[in-house]
Amino acid sequence: MLGSHQGNGHVLPLNGIRVLEVSEGVAGPYCGRYLASMGAEVVKIERPPHGDWSREIGPFIEGLPIGDNSALYSYNNQGKKSVLLEWTSSEGFQKLQSMVSEFDVLLEDWDLALRDEIGIPSGKFIDSDPRLIEISVTPFGLSGPYASWKSSPIVQLALGGYLYLTGERGKEPLMLPGRQPDYLTGLNASAAIHIALWERDRSGSGQFLEMSMLETLATLHQFTMEMTTFEGVLRMRNGNQWQRESSFASYGITTLPCSDGYICFGISTEDQWERLCAMIGRTDLIDDPDYDTRIKRADNSEYLDTLVTEWIADRTRREIFVETSEIWGLPTAPILDMAEVVKDDQFRYREIFYDQDLGDSQVVTFPTYPYIASKMKPNIGLPPSLGEHTEDFLATN
Amino acid sequence: MAKDLISSGSLSDIRVLDLTRVWAGPLATRVMGDFGADIIKISDPRVQLLSSNGLNHKLNRNKRNIGIRLDIEEGRDVLLGLVKKSDVIIENFRPRVMRNLNIGYDVLKTVKPDIIFVSMPGFGVDGPYSEYPAFGTTAEAVAGIPSLIGYGDGVPISTGIAYGDPISGLNAITLIMAALRIKNQTGHGQFIDIALSASPLCNLGEYVGAYSGSNKVPNPSGNRSKEYSPQGAFRCRGRDQWIAISVFNNREWMNLKNLLNDSDVNDIQTDTLEHRKNHEEIIEGALAKWTSRLDAFEAVSLLQENGIRSGNVSSGAQLLEDAHLNDRDFFFDFEEEEYGWKRYDGNSIPGNKIPKSKWSGTNDVGVNSKEILTDLLGYTESLCKELASKEAVYFGD
Repeated sequence: MLGSHQGNGHVLPLNGIRVLEVSEGVAGPYCGRYLASMGAEVVKIERPPHGDWSREIGPFIEGLPIGDNSALYSYNNQGKKSVLLEWTSSEGFQKLQSMVSEFDVLLEDWDLALRDEIGIPSGKFIDSDPRLIEISVTPFGLSGPYASWKSSPIVQLALGGYLYLTGERGKEPLMLPGRQPDYLTGLNASAAIHIALWERDRSGSGQFLEMSMLETLATLHQFTMEMTTFEGVLRMRNGNQWQRESSFASYGITTLPCSDGYICFGISTEDQWERLCAMIGRTDLIDDPDYDTRIKRADNSEYLDTLVTEWIADRTRREIFVETSEIWGLPTAPILDMAEVVKDDQFRYREIFYDQDLGDSQVVTFPTYPYIASKMKPNIGLPPSLGEHTEDFLATN
Repeated sequence: MAKDLISSGSLSDIRVLDLTRVWAGPLATRVMGDFGADIIKISDPRVQLLSSNGLNHKLNRNKRNIGIRLDIEEGRDVLLGLVKKSDVIIENFRPRVMRNLNIGYDVLKTVKPDIIFVSMPGFGVDGPYSEYPAFGTTAEAVAGIPSLIGYGDGVPISTGIAYGDPISGLNAITLIMAALRIKNQTGHGQFIDIALSASPLCNLGEYVGAYSGSNKVPNPSGNRSKEYSPQGAFRCRGRDQWIAISVFNNREWMNLKNLLNDSDVNDIQTDTLEHRKNHEEIIEGALAKWTSRLDAFEAVSLLQENGIRSGNVSSGAQLLEDAHLNDRDFFFDFEEEEYGWKRYDGNSIPGNKIPKSKWSGTNDVGVNSKEILTDLLGYTESLCKELASKEAVYFGD
């Protein structure tokens, strides 16, 4: 079902790698999903009675039994095996310890409070296996003043500096949709595991990797901190436009209404500004002393918005997108909603969507992965039912 | 048996040619450079790298720089020579740029059959939009992100952080490491195409899944959520000071309700998520009244002491001073003659990195041209002079 234009000869790079996932929600599981798509055998330990808490979190898919109907769980656990084990009991804990020795990677999300409760020291779970790669994925890491704080996506976005930057100036700052801090941390954890596997292939050594969600977010800023350290300017949220303060100020990063929705413009360079002027039939602005610097254009952005809006108002997003891109070489994009995203020509051409039969004739569409490669193709498996593979693992251990 | 970790960093046996600009690509190669990979940044000598806004300082540490004019035959030859000595080449031009310079994958693989060639264009190297210009903010628009951010008035809001870029950068690290693994196992290189616009979409898996199952288009409503209530950013004492609060269960709510001790809230039924959703406005109003009298940091301390998910809405300046990040030695303080001591974000990926004390700052265009040409390619002094006189290679000031 995935792109036939990818050609043949694909290899699953993590074939033979075994990952034990004792992690719930999104950050750890999204990482496990990525590793599974590359051929790793990912065995997920879920605690009775309900398993991973994300099984009970929406959005839900209609027509599926409770526990298997969460779109959040289904997406983030594709291609894994589920083993039901109360590993926090002393018997279960021993079972888990004996299982770990069969695996290359232990992916866990045990914060300090849980480690205290169960008696796991703040370090490697198993000392006796020098080849084991253990990655701890928690909101704040296992040390520092926030180590025992409670978190959620909006709390991470707040402390990580994202929330402050999104929304209208002076108004309540706005969060990014869904569980972005978790997804970003899952991607970061995947990178960490790949690098640790590379290290192990060379030196033979496993590692204990302690990853913090807050640190993940703090490394993913472009200008935020540098505007303070280099320019002495505070970066602020400013709706859909760049703020006037700072050397990046200019006109052209803006979102405007047209006949069937909103279109986003991303004009930033001098030559793009000149082409924008030509497009709206106002080449006179290029040499106009009121518009000949970036700052002056930023100061006049409201008026410039009205000029561009006049040009786009009667056109559709599609017409504007095609004309600005193909004729004028300007970065623009239609703002699409979910219904439009799943029908988008470019995403469809690249076959990014995958229709998965989750049973009871419920076919659900999920995105796959954002890449196409000549020798790698993601292997998309089903999300497991709770405890579907318990017997395979606990009977033999 | 396990040996010591590689002393020069886990990736010290990898060489990457980096033609990327702006953000997504440089972020990926920065991570690899911190882990000891030899990152050779190839810059166009007509574009200076160092600037007073700090962006290049942040993203191009631990990289060597060579200035090459790829549009000059002799410059292109230098690139081909470097490709023979490298494992990975990464670029984020529009697809036609590499093709027009005659350095596409089809050409480079004849020079170095096992080269890993990574393209990071806006929409992917093929498909109807493939040649359209893009950047992080327009990329997130087609993925549906701004349609999920807003105040409930139907106006979409872009993230303040050009969200397509950081996600693509993180994906690139995993994909490069996976391709290196395949190369080690099979001897084959490959072509990897990561679309800037597809990366944010893959962080919305549950939205796509839920839409396909229901055909209901989700609309944002500020920071409100189906799972957390109350949830939002609330203004505190001082200028533009906010904290984020989210309540997940009844226990957390009872603690918050006790802290609030608000008569309007005490009068209504709020002991289930459903009840709290029904009375969201009253609860949010009481919360806003309560926080407005408090210092943001004191409020968060009090809330976290009571087990309530909360955090300061940190600006860039506050992020740099964050107690937790500093306690964990997250930042990288670095002094340069021209700019003095500056604080940069560290590396959030745990593992065997070069120690920070040995990290190097950003090199301006051509600073390392000589050593790269002589040590890596064995060029003579006279050949270097000839390349300089033809302006094919730039050797710095």
